[in-house]
Amino acid sequence: MDTPQKLVKTDCEEILHRFQQQESVRFEIFSKIWREMKFSEIFYGLPAQHEKRKFSRLILDTACSYLLPPYSFQIRVGGLYLLYSLYRCQTFSPPEQIRVALKDWEYVEKFEKDALEAKHLDVVYILHQLMCFKAFHFTAMPTLLTFQKKRQKEKPRLCEGFIERASRPQELINIELLEELSNIHDIYGKLKTSASLMSEDAPTPVNLTHKDLIPKLRSTVVDFYTWQQKRIESDEEDYSGEGTSSQQESSKRAEKLAAIKSRAFGQATEAAKSRRHRQVEVDLTSNQAGPSNSSGHTRLSKPSLKVRTNENLHISSDLWKEATATTKISRLTALDFVPEEKPKKNYRKSNKKVKTAKEST
Amino acid sequence: MAASKPSADASSNIPDYEYAEVNTKPFHIGSFRNEWLKRLKPGDFSFQLEDEETFDANFARELRVDAETMAEIKSICSLDSLRCHPEDQQPDTNVVPDDPTLKTLIQRKKRQDYRATLKTPKNRHDLFTDELERAAIGKNPETVTNMIAEGELLLTVNVYYPPVVEKFQYVRPHMTLLMTGSHSLAELRDAICCVSDLQVCGEFSNTPDIAPDFISKDHFKSAFFFFEGIFYNDMRYPECQDISMTTIEWAKTHNFPTFSQAKMEDTRFADLKVKVGFPYLYCHQGDCEHLVIITDIRLMHTSDCLDKRLYPLLTHKHRVLTKKCAVCHVYIGRWFTTNDQFAPSNPCLFCDKCFRLLHYDAQGKKLGDFLAYPYVDRGAFN
Repeated sequence: MDTPQKLVKTDCEEILHRFQQQESVRFEIFSKIWREMKFSEIFYGLPAQHEKRKFSRLILDTACSYLLPPYSFQIRVGGLYLLYSLYRCQTFSPPEQIRVALKDWEYVEKFEKDALEAKHLDVVYILHQLMCFKAFHFTAMPTLLTFQKKRQKEKPRLCEGFIERASRPQELINIELLEELSNIHDIYGKLKTSASLMSEDAPTPVNLTHKDLIPKLRSTVVDFYTWQQKRIESDEEDYSGEGTSSQQESSKRAEKLAAIKSRAFGQATEAAKSRRHRQVEVDLTSNQAGPSNSSGHTRLSKPSLKVRTNENLHISSDLWKEATATTKISRLTALDFVPEEKPKKNYRKSNKKVKTAKEST
Repeated sequence: MAASKPSADASSNIPDYEYAEVNTKPFHIGSFRNEWLKRLKPGDFSFQLEDEETFDANFARELRVDAETMAEIKSICSLDSLRCHPEDQQPDTNVVPDDPTLKTLIQRKKRQDYRATLKTPKNRHDLFTDELERAAIGKNPETVTNMIAEGELLLTVNVYYPPVVEKFQYVRPHMTLLMTGSHSLAELRDAICCVSDLQVCGEFSNTPDIAPDFISKDHFKSAFFFFEGIFYNDMRYPECQDISMTTIEWAKTHNFPTFSQAKMEDTRFADLKVKVGFPYLYCHQGDCEHLVIITDIRLMHTSDCLDKRLYPLLTHKHRVLTKKCAVCHVYIGRWFTTNDQFAPSNPCLFCDKCFRLLHYDAQGKKLGDFLAYPYVDRGAFN
């Protein structure tokens, strides 16, 4: 069974995802989705007072994280609306408050400024309403800390789709900066040539600047931007293909796994015992061609140590020849040179057997 | 006074994680409060609620919004727009609605259905927690002098029971106290109730009536808190000793960083420099050691208890199983006897009433031969 934390998170993400799809920051849109999902009911069915408080605490803490970076502005607006709606819909009084930590407060202030500049009056109004209702606890840390060390850290799962794309390179390297750079570049070049002209006995000047720095910089940023755009598009395609609810996703994954398993088992039982390893070999290749490979089930096969050393060691040609020659001689003189191939082959087969056995389990 | 000075660097007083979600870096509590107050308008942390009309007027003026737009925004953002049920019928909020779609509700529905099959609808722990909560919330004093000042700090302090029983290493039993920033550490000390303070040493079979006059709290008054390399000793009474000296001396001879001392009663929470979420130590009665964790620090809120006299405020207490009298099995044991010819076992536990009825005659004369020691149950504070 999933923990309440996870369930609350999926519910919050669901409403924010629907809000994101509307591509709006209006409260009307949000409240419509809220009503459609009957989100107020999330507080129902908790008879004991302390249970209610505990749950309110949990859901407010969860929702509060969407108000803060690294999420995009739209999601943060959604997060604010979510907090406001949750705060107002609590079924007991006095309600639980929203905890903001001192280190996060600057983000809230910045967010308010952004909303003001963009004239999103409903966003500002709701933020002010929350302040007016004294809905915030001004705290040291977002949660109560009791030195609960976790043996296995669960990474805070950020919802990828909500995160703002990095735009720092584009912001930093704009047209003005490029112009400025090229000006400085020219001036520097001129200065240097004049300096070298004045002192004629000086050796050829050290060349510290790239000639084509500016066009290169520009093209790099443009490349980055197009790459980013492409990725967004492909991401969206993936997302629409997979469907919205996480349940579908997980069931798909389960199906995939089941398919892989059945294939592996089926093939293994069909083959005669003596020929099983061959059969399995075929199975492996077909697996690799299929889409199941992407699920990360097959292990990354490293090239052997010998191959790697050959790649990494660059011995000058003479030495190399000598080395191989000596080994050839030694091998020729050695008695059992011929069966050298055999154990290797055996090893490969057994290795694959192990691999497939692992996969089928 | 050896409490650490507020450091000049402002950013160091903005708490941040040392280990994510475990504890913070050390910061000065008083300066932390100042940082918040610097960022907020006085109205933001005041206890007065702004009424709606002044809010609307202020909002319209600040953003230069005309009346029409204002009305529109108000209607859009009103609470009615969030209502999920028809206006005329109020749903029962204590049951999960039918056919829920939200994941949380689906799970809660399952649990509710399961609970309905159980025989006991409400357990006493729920009742107890609710009761403690009611005691804490939204109590305002009648007089202004007992009112807590606006912008005061509220600290949540967990004091853990010493892990003398093996089980305590896993369940972490503790009490939770709410303190304000202007409380001294001595006040925290007085609020901590621990049974080792109530212990009575000695054999009292001949004079059972005078036993309660000799509790350890009155005999051994020394105690200390340890926060961030400083021992805060209780030196309020002439018989108090600096019991941290032993540790400090030992540390000196073993190449440990040097520790310093300060007085508990002169140190307010606001003067401390601590890590939130980090375990510190409270030691009393020589070797009764409690972990102390400051789990939360925040500005006081209008819905908190605002009566100064009610602090330190207890909000959570672990309930310990009590040992009952061997005779009546009703009352908690108060006497512990050995070599007792009347007792079914050796040693044996009696409540006060059964002990006296069994061991003394009507004139209070001791009958038979036995040794009696006062016993304080671990759950005496339940």
